[in-house]
Amino acid sequence: MADVLTVLALLLVAVAATAAVAVRDPARQALVLAVLGLALAVLFTVLQAPDVALSQLAVGSALTPLLILLSVRKVRRRGQREDGGR
Amino acid sequence: MNGWLWTATVLLAVGFGPVVWAVATGPVGRRVVAQNFGTSAVCLVMLLLAQGYQRPSYTDLALVLAVLGPVGTLVYARLLADDLSPHPPHTNLLTAAAALATTAVVVAVCAATGPGRAMVKLLVTGALLVAGNVIASRAVSGGYRNAEATSHG
Repeated sequence: MADVLTVLALLLVAVAATAAVAVRDPARQALVLAVLGLALAVLFTVLQAPDVALSQLAVGSALTPLLILLSVRKVRRRGQREDGGR
Repeated sequence: MNGWLWTATVLLAVGFGPVVWAVATGPVGRRVVAQNFGTSAVCLVMLLLAQGYQRPSYTDLALVLAVLGPVGTLVYARLLADDLSPHPPHTNLLTAAAALATTAVVVAVCAATGPGRAMVKLLVTGALLVAGNVIASRAVSGGYRNAEATSHG
């Protein structure tokens, strides 16, 4: 019965990762990626690797979404400027 | 497996399972709310796991998540403001549920820990979690947008 937690965490990681691939819009993908990071952190903790979970949380919860959303915003602005120039 | 781990399993299934579904479908507003609630749910799961595995140092994970989770939600609230402003999501009910669950879990874990430095850490984590959740929810539902507009002229 001790494996219930591990199996559940693995299942959540699999579902979240599949969703992250299936969602096509990058801004929404960033949200799914953040949730995938949370699921991975739980999995690492359940597997007794809190140090890995700590770095996963530090990078995954704030830094990755910030980078993705800033990139999306910059690309969109550049696209609008080029459209306006024509 | 002891009671703490079972509680963590149930909380993970009931609290975080729907979050994964809600964040993958629907409008942007609902996704941001789901991500915010997922942060709180996982933070509580971390607290329960730390107690269940008898490793007080695991509460560091919950502390880090209580600080960084609302920061991530504020990033979304700021950078997705154009998508959120037409239909600001309602967050009052979920925020109340998260605050209640946080209070229950922190009180239970504190009662099991007993007085001392570990208990202070748990209380700080719980307070940070509730405060961060309230602030992030208010930002997502557009509570700060008027103040921002006036401060920028």
